[in-house]
Amino acid sequence: MKLLGYLLWGAIAATAAFCLGGVALIRGEHINSIWLVLAAACTYITAYRFYGRFVAARVMALDDRRATPAERLRNGHDFEPTNKWILLGHHFAAIAGPGPLVGPVLAAQFGYLPGTLWIVIGAVLGGAVQDFVILFASMRRDGKSLGKMAREEIGKVGGFIALVTVLIIMVILLAVVGLVVVNALKGSAWGTFTIAATMPVAIFMGLYLRYWRPGKVLECSAIGFFLVLASIFGGRSVAASANLAPIFTLSAMALAIGIIIYGFLASALPVWLLLAPRDYLSTFVKLGVVFMLAIGILIVRPELQLPPFTRFVDGTGPIFAGKVFPFCFITIACGAVSGFHSLISSGTTPKMIAKEWHAVPVGYGSMLMESFVAIMAMIAACVLQPGVYFAVNSPAGIVGATPAAAAATITNWGFPVTADTMAQLATDVGEKSLFFRTGGAPSLALGMAHIFASTGSGAVIGFWYHFAIMFEALFILTIIDAGTRVGRFMLQDLLSHVAPPLGRMTSMPAVVVTSAMVVAAWGYFLIQGVRDPLGGINSLWPLFGISNQLLAGIALCVATTILLKMHGAKYVWITFAPLVWLVMVTFTAGWQKIFSPLPAVGFLAQADKLAAAGAASAATQTLIFNARLDAAVCGVLMVLVAAILIDSVRVWVGILRGTSDAHVREAPFVISRLQAEEL
Amino acid sequence: MTLLRRVGRLLLATLREIGDENAYRRHLAAHGRQHSGPEWRRFSEERFRAKYARAKCC
Repeated sequence: MKLLGYLLWGAIAATAAFCLGGVALIRGEHINSIWLVLAAACTYITAYRFYGRFVAARVMALDDRRATPAERLRNGHDFEPTNKWILLGHHFAAIAGPGPLVGPVLAAQFGYLPGTLWIVIGAVLGGAVQDFVILFASMRRDGKSLGKMAREEIGKVGGFIALVTVLIIMVILLAVVGLVVVNALKGSAWGTFTIAATMPVAIFMGLYLRYWRPGKVLECSAIGFFLVLASIFGGRSVAASANLAPIFTLSAMALAIGIIIYGFLASALPVWLLLAPRDYLSTFVKLGVVFMLAIGILIVRPELQLPPFTRFVDGTGPIFAGKVFPFCFITIACGAVSGFHSLISSGTTPKMIAKEWHAVPVGYGSMLMESFVAIMAMIAACVLQPGVYFAVNSPAGIVGATPAAAAATITNWGFPVTADTMAQLATDVGEKSLFFRTGGAPSLALGMAHIFASTGSGAVIGFWYHFAIMFEALFILTIIDAGTRVGRFMLQDLLSHVAPPLGRMTSMPAVVVTSAMVVAAWGYFLIQGVRDPLGGINSLWPLFGISNQLLAGIALCVATTILLKMHGAKYVWITFAPLVWLVMVTFTAGWQKIFSPLPAVGFLAQADKLAAAGAASAATQTLIFNARLDAAVCGVLMVLVAAILIDSVRVWVGILRGTSDAHVREAPFVISRLQAEEL
Repeated sequence: MTLLRRVGRLLLATLREIGDENAYRRHLAAHGRQHSGPEWRRFSEERFRAKYARAKCC
């Protein structure tokens, strides 16, 4: 029996190695997506079984006899022992946002190989370790948040910086995901109608749940889902209507203003009316679509059309400028290593773990699942013809303002595409044009539609394209409304120390003023992205990636400090190695984004180039200011994280020399009395 | 068949957890109360206040 086990694990590991080798080494022919699926899946299974369990047993010394906070502090609300598979689903739903879908699509400009390898290796050795160790640390500390752990383990400065960093990241995140929605919906009557229809659907759901059928969340969400599906069909009729189509065909600026107004209303309105029902619906739709995409890829097994490497590894890419190192590694944050996960791992989840060993599937396993979602997004992007992929994702400022000019530029790069091909594709999916649709969402929707339509489901590609757009926009808007609200809470918390009236959560004027301040902050960056002749994603997505991974740096500093206190230097490499890598990547990328002499990469060089052109108009002055502002935001983030790093190193040296407090601040051991039937 | 039923039950329980229906049941049990419209409103207001004070993941 033991021998059979060895043989089985040997076979899985060998398959992982063989497929990864195949993915990395096959040249000159299209490879099937199953290679990527098998390479990723077998690597994850092997890593979970051996590395995840090694960290759990040797490093964390997880002990099921020890009562978790869910048992000790059980209150029927936050603290509640929960079945591990249910908690796995809950945690996965919480960590999987648009990041693992959009990042890989954008990084596919380097070819499928760099992004794929980073997603697989980054998740196994970095992202999953970060999520797991932070979950473990929070679980052993009564479910404390990352900020509180940073304050306790590193110092007061660390805790404050963590809060400010999160607030800045929120602002950048909301702007960039807002821009993704704007670029997906601009000029699209079908898409705009579908998304607009989700607002009354959400309000109907809110009323249904509060007054007509209280507590029936699943029933209400099922009705909401059918109404949203109906709106996709309705959108097709609207797009075909001579009277209605112009009303829903909006410019990027009009959409951006609409999203800003929506964000403000959603932050100020009662949660039950709009935010909560939309959140339920988008979470269920998200899980369903991810599952459908996995099944679709297994049925269709499409061939990858993009090459393993493109010429743009040299930094001249049209989607975002910068070399494969470091920019591939910051473009894909969620799916490989995401600092945001540390907030979830030190939020609800540690309060619901019934047994310590459940942290392995929940903490380590969930991140591997999210990484697999990123692999599927990479496949969806790479099944498109390269010419089509670049035509959709490249801004007019780089490839030329007309379809003919853009097609000629992209064909000259070695990726043949014609204006007629693009026009036919746009007609097939019910759009006027698919050129210059930067942001990743439209190309992901095209790839997903291609896969879904090839399953023999009977539905046409136009339906699937808009289904995918609806799915992406639905949960991105949920992030915008929930994020604005959270940003408002953080701001009120900070302002309560200097202007107490603005800190009152129940005061309507305070809510309105602080909501407006948060919306103005991310709205400014969103408008900046819309006005940017290069599409905005070029500057905002790298900024978001850098900030997200700087947050991962903070989380890994906390994790490293805890491991040092537990074991000295023995196991510190587990979190220290990914931390060193992230510091190298983020600080190189941050430095290049600020100081690179190339205007396409460096914000300051871009501002200087615009200023040197002379006779600057008001619009150019704004572009110059924006480039300098982006440089300043990037610089502030780097300084904040550098401060935490320096503070951490000071603590680590003290622990190793024996001059600093190496006391492990875990809750005391209490024997678990949880019965098997309670799990 | 038994396995399928178990998987189905688990899936439904996960959806109920994500949809806060399980949390509502726990709330009723913990406070010894019966389900009603006002009770759901009381529970959901408290639940949403905590839930939407935390950052959502990207």
